[in-house]
Amino acid sequence: MIGLNVDLVGIAAVVGLVVLLLVFVFLGRRWPAVFRPIKGFEALGVAIERAVEAGERVHLSLGTGSVTGAEVAPALAGLAVLSRVAAATTMSDRPVVVTAGDGAMAILAQDTLRSAYERVGAGERYQATSGRMLGPTPFSYAAGLPTILATEDVSVHMLMGSFGVEGALAADFGERQGAFVLAGTDDIQTQALLYATAEHPLIGEEVFAGGAYLNVGPLHRASLRTQDVVRMLIIGLILVGTVVRTVMDLL
Amino acid sequence: MRLRLSLVWVAVVIGVGLIVLLGFFVDQPVILDIRRILISWAVLLSAAALVLGLYNLLSVHWHKVSLQERGWPYSALLVLCFLVTLTLGLLFGPDYPVILMLFRYIQVPVEASLMALLAISLTVAGFRLVARHRDLLSLIFAIVAFVVLLGTGPWLVGGGGGAYELVRDLRNWVAQVWAAGGARGMLLGVALGATLTGLRVLLGSDRPYGD
Repeated sequence: MIGLNVDLVGIAAVVGLVVLLLVFVFLGRRWPAVFRPIKGFEALGVAIERAVEAGERVHLSLGTGSVTGAEVAPALAGLAVLSRVAAATTMSDRPVVVTAGDGAMAILAQDTLRSAYERVGAGERYQATSGRMLGPTPFSYAAGLPTILATEDVSVHMLMGSFGVEGALAADFGERQGAFVLAGTDDIQTQALLYATAEHPLIGEEVFAGGAYLNVGPLHRASLRTQDVVRMLIIGLILVGTVVRTVMDLL
Repeated sequence: MRLRLSLVWVAVVIGVGLIVLLGFFVDQPVILDIRRILISWAVLLSAAALVLGLYNLLSVHWHKVSLQERGWPYSALLVLCFLVTLTLGLLFGPDYPVILMLFRYIQVPVEASLMALLAISLTVAGFRLVARHRDLLSLIFAIVAFVVLLGTGPWLVGGGGGAYELVRDLRNWVAQVWAAGGARGMLLGVALGATLTGLRVLLGSDRPYGD
């Protein structure tokens, strides 16, 4: 903090991230990014195609986090993926169904679905009941999932949002149904549970990479490149700090 | 016209987002006051959205019951319980003994049962993981899980003995050095991913509120 109580370092960090993001959008036009393969996202396209052809449903869970909470970020990443998945399933007899544990999140899911349908000229196929709130508490949400999975003939079960331990149950219900299960969240402990329960777990920041891997837009691809650059920078700073501290202690 | 309206929403989101973000970095009473008002509006809207969400829940299940779709008896039960609880709550308030009884003897045991089910599900999932992915990572995962279980529950190797102390030290070493180090590295990636997801919304690239 200086003079006018302004955290210049924080503002510089945000501005720096925005500048890097825009630079990578520009660079991405000339030199498209090549990302390492993530098995879950690679297999997702085939699983969705199969579901559409078989007249089965794709289910996306946005988790049990609230829009006003700090845990909103993975659900926002899930909504970006939803816009792509909804567009791919508009011609299906059984379009994608989205569930959330928060009322506001369910409304955002409905808006995203409606926009995706209108964008591909299938606005009349949009149903408001495709975006649902299942239950306001984590376990009431999890308790509502088996009925949806069984009665709606779900064969692709995606979890992209904020989950606690109930995320493991949510993924396990999909596995018991024999569905393709792709699951990711921001909570590290839940990620360990999803590693055991889901067929295709998303580890670390992979839950935020869905938009880039599914070609949602240039800013999504630029985001991944920005993350990589900033991560390397931070790792470098940590290593330099460690060496400097060690040398200082020795002297 | 529609395009212009969507631009208005984008402008509102960017403006509000920037003011709230600025409140984290600039310690000025005017900005902090505006930020506090905006956040309290968001909380109010979120509460209103909860009511809409409950209406949505009711309408989905009512639709299932009226069309007698597959699994409609479950939906009928949900609608019945929903209406009874809502009516009692609205008429007598949340502290009414029947409401407390419903909470204590139905909701809490059901949620506790799901928590207990989680232990079984995870054990089965652990076996399924090793059977499905016969690779090094799955093997390490299973061994580490077993070591941590042994080190946490001394009854398996006998409490107080030399074997228990060895397993306990091994568990602490795995949890405090390897797991904590790995988790910090992953948290770094998660934090960056979350920040950039927020920035995309602030820049108007991601529009979860519709086009």
